[in-house]
Amino acid sequence: MGFLAPLMLAGLAALAVPIAIHLIGRQRARIVKFAALDFLMSTKRRTARRLRLRERVLLLVRIIACAAVVLALAKPFTSCERKGPRVTRGPQAAVLVVDDSFAAGYIVDGKPWLARATTEARRILTQLGPEAEVAIVRSSEGADHPTELTRDHLRLRDQLIALEPSSRPADTTRGLARAAQLLAASSHARKTVYLVSLNAKTGLRPDDLPWGKDGPELVAVDLRPEKMPNLAVTALRVVPEPGAGTRGVAFDADVANFSDTAAKIELSLSIADRVVARGSLELAKGEKRVKRFLATLPPGARASDASVSLDGDALAIDDRRWVRASLRDEVRVLLVDGDPRTVRHDDEVFYVEAALRPGDREDSGTLVRVITAEELANIDPRMKGTAAAIELESYDVLILANVAALSSERVSVIAQWVRSGGGILVAPGDQVDSAAYDRTMLPLLPQSLRDPIDTTWGAQAEDRDSRALHLVKWEADHPIFMPFSKAAPELADAKFFKIALLGPTTATADRKVLARFTNGAAALIEASIGAGRTLLFTSTLDRDWNDLPIHPGFLPLLQGAARHLARKHASFGETDHFVGSSVVLPTADLKKLEIRGPDGKSSAFEGDRIAGRSSIRFGRTDRPGVFRVTGTDLTGGAHERDELGFVVNIDSRGSDLTPAAAADLPPSGSGGSGAPADESRRVELWHALAAALLLLLLAEGLLVQR
Amino acid sequence: MPTLPERIDPAQLARLGSLPIKARVIVEGALSGMHRARLHGSSVEFAEHKEYSPGDELRHVDWKAYAKVDRYYVKQFEQESQLTIYLVLDASASMGFSGGGMSKLEYAGISLAALAYLAIQQQDKVGLVASGDKAIETMVPPRARTTHLHDLLSVLDTVMTRGGTGDETPATALKRIAELTRRRRALIIVATDLFDADDETLSVLTALRAQRHDVSVLHILDPHELSFPYDGLTQFEALESTNKMLVNPNAIKREYIERMQAFLTKCRGTMTAAGVDYHLATTDTALEKTLLDVLVARSKLGPGRRAS
Repeated sequence: MGFLAPLMLAGLAALAVPIAIHLIGRQRARIVKFAALDFLMSTKRRTARRLRLRERVLLLVRIIACAAVVLALAKPFTSCERKGPRVTRGPQAAVLVVDDSFAAGYIVDGKPWLARATTEARRILTQLGPEAEVAIVRSSEGADHPTELTRDHLRLRDQLIALEPSSRPADTTRGLARAAQLLAASSHARKTVYLVSLNAKTGLRPDDLPWGKDGPELVAVDLRPEKMPNLAVTALRVVPEPGAGTRGVAFDADVANFSDTAAKIELSLSIADRVVARGSLELAKGEKRVKRFLATLPPGARASDASVSLDGDALAIDDRRWVRASLRDEVRVLLVDGDPRTVRHDDEVFYVEAALRPGDREDSGTLVRVITAEELANIDPRMKGTAAAIELESYDVLILANVAALSSERVSVIAQWVRSGGGILVAPGDQVDSAAYDRTMLPLLPQSLRDPIDTTWGAQAEDRDSRALHLVKWEADHPIFMPFSKAAPELADAKFFKIALLGPTTATADRKVLARFTNGAAALIEASIGAGRTLLFTSTLDRDWNDLPIHPGFLPLLQGAARHLARKHASFGETDHFVGSSVVLPTADLKKLEIRGPDGKSSAFEGDRIAGRSSIRFGRTDRPGVFRVTGTDLTGGAHERDELGFVVNIDSRGSDLTPAAAADLPPSGSGGSGAPADESRRVELWHALAAALLLLLLAEGLLVQR
Repeated sequence: MPTLPERIDPAQLARLGSLPIKARVIVEGALSGMHRARLHGSSVEFAEHKEYSPGDELRHVDWKAYAKVDRYYVKQFEQESQLTIYLVLDASASMGFSGGGMSKLEYAGISLAALAYLAIQQQDKVGLVASGDKAIETMVPPRARTTHLHDLLSVLDTVMTRGGTGDETPATALKRIAELTRRRRALIIVATDLFDADDETLSVLTALRAQRHDVSVLHILDPHELSFPYDGLTQFEALESTNKMLVNPNAIKREYIERMQAFLTKCRGTMTAAGVDYHLATTDTALEKTLLDVLVARSKLGPGRRAS
């Protein structure tokens, strides 16, 4: 400690004043013999003692007050070593890159590490001084970045205070690159990046340098605790497990130990928020293993949310992972064979049946019944109760493959069934006469049929392929085409030699062309009939007019079409959605979709956001957990749509907190010129003394008053 | 109640010669404004009427009866019995305090001398006990002779000249009186400042009253003891102990006065509850006024309260 004005210390002699006053006052005290005081006051011994003590305390307070005045005038100061990073005060450009990845929620000494980081960042901000132009860049993946530097330090301070760990992994390299861009736009000579980060190796891409040699100076603030052991459930898969019954499923959880020591981990499986199984796992340091849980889904539910969690460690967010387990709904298909043959592969429905029920397995998810066009007569309601009767209500989908025009009665029975929610797929063929179709079949079609065209008519055998049509321009967002990529050679390579052309549209609603051929003719048309749907494919479902059935795209296309018509979609939850990714949901003819996240916040899609669309894109997946979907159908009834619900997990890359080596950080540039900062700073103490003096005077006043 | 002009300043009185003169001056001063008859018969009991015949004292004529029956009747009294009066003087060291004028001991002594003078004139038996110093026995047994007054006053004079010593409270003296009087009731007049840490005096006074003695307390305080008029750093030294207290009087004045008031309230309350005749007098109050207060209060007491 030192003094700026040490001569003032001579004033300490003034301490003698209160002492002298006290002593002289004592000697000069008048002596009075007075009986009453002793009788009244000193019988209370405590009063006397208190009076004596008060006199002494008063003397002490006065001495200290005098000393405080003298010391304050002498301007004492102390110097202390600067802690933390080197920060230079003055005009400059600086960017604070703060790690707000989910790993920043790691609990250190009872508080998230991020609290420590923002405190340090605020300290740096203060030390930079008001002339510095500063920006704060968050280094979590996908974080929004500021567009410019600012001198509004108050706002920056508020930003730091409001900062919370996100649910995304770190992308430090991107944050540094953004910092470099911001600094490049500044005219200041001194440019510095302060990196307040856990510096996890997974957040850095050493081969992707954010700046070159002339880049800003990089000051890495090391606030990392010495050890950061972490356990995480890094993946969770669900597979059907027939061995555990028809509702049996197996959950495979990948569990990783990102620590330096072995760990025994207690795991639990919850289905629909109820713990149904527990298990333990011993993992060596750095080991990753799979833990399998067998369970049955609760009765009555086709789909359920499940999660595997491990006993909490310092980073809780990656201790739990969700998955959506669903049993496949069987689609019941009534397949009408319009051109039955004795040779199996010549049969009109051979490929359709094979595609709908691959390998003829029980678990294919589809139940197919093949009948001939004549047998279709048995759908007549008057046949009900007879052995031969076919009840359309027992089926979800009716496929008319190359079926000659049906009588009006049958069409009206089928149309009635479609209106009440059935789905029908019509494909033409040589048995189909467009004129006859126009007469009776229009209630079932989105558009009337015209005569087919043969694109290879008159062509030489070698030219046949080149004149064939191909499928192009399909609705990629439509549930039927969702499994396909944009190019999808498995569809695009199929050759169509003959297609049926289309006539005027019919009285159906929501008519939509889902796919077209290279010549612009419609390939697949969809329309709504009441609560049901109709699909018209303008070529055959066997190899008579095209070779689509022998292409890999035929199976997913037909299964997708059957499920779409039956309104039974493949579970979307099976895909692993990460926090921040967008999720595509089929609108399924709903008027309104409401998605409720794990934090209870809802997003609603209605009106223009949903009308006329077959799917919607939901992007507010900012927290891991279960997202539930409530759908309002055309009748106004709102129900939770189990099949549309999905789960979102964190990207487990961020769970590996292994620190990056110094070499992994981008090299620190010159950052402009600048004198090295003073390593120590002076702290003046007279303010404290002045405050103490005020308190002492107050105390003295109180003591005198009493 | 007749009011008395404060003719005689206690300070002036102090300058007068011997105690008998002071006593006489006070008594005459006190009685000059009163109807003397009020004091007569304070020691006699009315017995019956008899018709007036020449030679009877005119002062015994019952004028009320004359007004009613138009005849002169003379009130006959039972044979006068002498009243025994014990005067108790607290001569402890605290009584020696004087804030400027007469000390409390002097004031108490002169008051008791005046009462003795008056009582002897009325043929009452008057005794004296001075308390304060255990080593000095000061006891004058009750007598009614005129010459006894001289003895009484000379003892009082000696005690006052000696000044307040010791720390004994009047309680011991009062207990002794209780033993001496046995079953005979007496009038006990105590002049004290009641500075008694153990409240023993109060309890003995209460006990005496319970034995049907007539008790009067002349509580004497110095005006300084009531107003605590000190200022500046002062060392207060106790009179009955070696305690000293260096203090700024202003700092404790409020608390002192509160405690003094509480003390006075307690004394008055205890006395009144016990039926003890209590008079608070400061040393700057005219002595004849104090004397008159005592006498008037006594004259107001009914016959049942009279000691016989």
